[in-house]
Amino acid sequence: VSSPQTLGPRVVLHLLNRAGYGPRPGEIDAVLQRGPTRWIEDQLEPAPDPELDQRLARFPTLSYSTAQVLALYNADQRSIGVVLDEFTSAKVVRAVHGKNQLQEVLVDFWFNHLNVFVNDGFDRYSISSYERDAIRPHVLGRFRDLLAAASLHPAMLYYLDNYLNTVPRRVGNRVTGGINENQGRELLELHTVGVDAGYTQADVVEASRCLTGHGIDNLTTSGAYVFRAANHDNEGKQVFGLSVPAGGGETDVQRLFDHLASHPATARFVARKLGQRFVADDPPPGLVDRLAGVFLRTGGDLREVMRALFGSAELWAEAFGAGKPKTPLEYVASVLRGAGAEVGQTRAVKATLEQMGLPLYACNPPTGYSNRGADWLNPSSQLYRMNFALDLAAGAVAGVSADVYALIRGGGGNPDDPRSAAEAIDRVVFGRTLSPATLDAASRVGTGGSVPVAVRVAGLLLASPDMQVR
Amino acid sequence: MSWEVSRRVFLQGAGLAAVGVGLAPTSLLVRTARAAAGDKVLVKVFLRGGADGLNLCAPWGDPEYYSLRQGIALPRPGAAGGVVDLDGDFGMHPELAPLEPFFDDGRLAFVHAVGNTRLTRSHFDAQDFMESGTPGDKQTATGWLDRAIARLPGTEVTQAVSFSPQLPRSFLGPEPVLVAQTLASFDLRARNWRAEAESLLTAMYAADPTAVGSTGLETFEAINALLRAPAPPPSSGAVYPTGTVGSSLRQAAGLVKAGIGTRCIFVNVTGGFDTHSNQLTSNVNDFRPLGQALAAFATDLGGLLDSVVLMVTTEFGRTAAVNGAAGTDHGTGYCLLVLGGRVRGGRVLGRWPGLGRAQLHDGRDLAATTDFRDVFQEVARAQFGITESLFPGYSPGPGVGVVA
Repeated sequence: VSSPQTLGPRVVLHLLNRAGYGPRPGEIDAVLQRGPTRWIEDQLEPAPDPELDQRLARFPTLSYSTAQVLALYNADQRSIGVVLDEFTSAKVVRAVHGKNQLQEVLVDFWFNHLNVFVNDGFDRYSISSYERDAIRPHVLGRFRDLLAAASLHPAMLYYLDNYLNTVPRRVGNRVTGGINENQGRELLELHTVGVDAGYTQADVVEASRCLTGHGIDNLTTSGAYVFRAANHDNEGKQVFGLSVPAGGGETDVQRLFDHLASHPATARFVARKLGQRFVADDPPPGLVDRLAGVFLRTGGDLREVMRALFGSAELWAEAFGAGKPKTPLEYVASVLRGAGAEVGQTRAVKATLEQMGLPLYACNPPTGYSNRGADWLNPSSQLYRMNFALDLAAGAVAGVSADVYALIRGGGGNPDDPRSAAEAIDRVVFGRTLSPATLDAASRVGTGGSVPVAVRVAGLLLASPDMQVR
Repeated sequence: MSWEVSRRVFLQGAGLAAVGVGLAPTSLLVRTARAAAGDKVLVKVFLRGGADGLNLCAPWGDPEYYSLRQGIALPRPGAAGGVVDLDGDFGMHPELAPLEPFFDDGRLAFVHAVGNTRLTRSHFDAQDFMESGTPGDKQTATGWLDRAIARLPGTEVTQAVSFSPQLPRSFLGPEPVLVAQTLASFDLRARNWRAEAESLLTAMYAADPTAVGSTGLETFEAINALLRAPAPPPSSGAVYPTGTVGSSLRQAAGLVKAGIGTRCIFVNVTGGFDTHSNQLTSNVNDFRPLGQALAAFATDLGGLLDSVVLMVTTEFGRTAAVNGAAGTDHGTGYCLLVLGGRVRGGRVLGRWPGLGRAQLHDGRDLAATTDFRDVFQEVARAQFGITESLFPGYSPGPGVGVVA
């Protein structure tokens, strides 16, 4: 593989599948014209997307602070259903219609890395702010800033119980409060250096001591972050090679973030995870080393790490491999984009994702959802995938419209001729990469019966094995 | 190691060759060696999050329990909200009371202080080790249940079924597994062209040599197996609770009753088991549907329960002492629950390590005195007749005598 510019639709399809949620009709040609390198640079510097903003304008609570959401809830408890529906709907609309595809994929990636759970009490009211204020602004910024913003956001402090993490205090002859090591452990294990970095149970406790006192002001009214000095353990700490002197108060945790965000183990952990999401389930070690090197050299500049990833031979070589199985979100979004669908109501789309095992924002454990494509292959999910594609082509996904005739005509095909229709979809959706067996099977649909040829051909191709990988 | 040679890979290789000589792709789906109805079935229920064994089966006879757990210890039997006494030393959580008849008639046992000291306090590593069966070694390619079902004669996809959003680590490996959250309406939606859609999609997936292709073929195999033998509804007046554990165990019982050769069932349960705070509330919310669902499962199966051993497990226990938030943190030894007609129940098995500071693992956790692999192997021996070790690098002991 020499340079992306010299390569054809296959490489552009690959790029659109890895940097985003797959091509919309016409997009493969458009990116070929613009040039993949310039398209990547566009994605690394997201521009305003007024068309998307217009689509999102029907979700007014997206901009609400946690306090506003709580006020709404306190006035009418039913309102939280609306708030969460708007929040989760926006994710689908952004994935399907947003121009800054890489940004949306990265928001998904980093939210998942720093996962919180929508059904966890207070997080119902704060999750929208969490993604908007702690994750989204930093996905092409510095890891250090992302880590601090997420770790001290009330949604995370609640999810990992740090709002209850306090120095034990003696009141009379009773001890109240005490260390809660939940967030301290996950900060090391999942958010920064990774479970194999060599830290000990003592490091978990010391990290938790740094985090004492960082909590939430009032869970039912303001829901704001607060540091309570009286709950903070102000003695000195030793965390995984970092010495924190006594008396640091709320700065202890900032020292800890500095230490962990610049640790080589964190660079490797993050580099490997990005490689797994964007390149291969088992990312090439050489790539991981290089990305980790960029991470360390640039002070954790995530834009530079992504630039290096898209400049890597390993990423481009994957365009000629067997492909990486899509997660349910990747599959559903790519089918909607490929079909040129317009998403009005999202209820049916979200229900499908839940049946496939990926309810939006509802991953209970702090690991987040798996980035390994192979983990999502199973017969049940496969059946839901095929049925989603067949339903979409037949116009039977509630709230979503897709015109398979326009799709086929847009590719220069005849919607009434199976082979011509299949070849048109191959051009527009698959960059002419369909396997001969898939193309041949779709070309064999009968021309009689009550279900139109165009519906059957489009349904089969969107349900095909070729559509399951990216 | 013999289990790494997969019949499934062999069959698929043969199947692809068959396509080459012009057989219809659907002929690949006709597999042989169906297990006979009434074959023994192993059910593994996994409580994700580190379920607290000390409040699932509380050592109410041990005074340390009450001094370590002020505010979250369960009251003694007879007191309001008290445990259901089992043997004068231990009592089960009051929300498990629907299981009392099965303990009393000897079909339910608890095995306490189970685990492994090499299990870590990381949820994810501990689950990995519990399911690979190789604590301390993350490189094991297969799960222990994959290695177990590899030794059974059947090869059909419905032989092993997992009620979970994804393939659990326990089943990781070459053996086919039907992973589903619900088996209701398990069919292709292509009204008026279903046969054509199935035939053409099967042709596409049969030609794909990767895991995507084999998953597609397994899907059609499962669709057809389930259409042939739909699961009967609950019987004997069994009432399952709403929610995942109830739905999964209702469907598990349905598979056993349908007799389509299912030998191994995995039930994934998530909830609030990771009780870092306000544990008493979480325990009620989690143990209530669990107790109701297990009792319904046993009632539903009636005499067929003799062919079933169901084991409820988790990744680790929790700290012996309460933390600062009326909860407990990640610990070590946990408690297994074993249900089945041939279970030698009515007893709390295992060696109780005690809760004194010197007896606690690292001074904080209930110690693990029974290696989980000994019990897992014992159950696999009883249900599948497997005597050779399922755990690389480990020779399981005789077990705790939990199954006849």
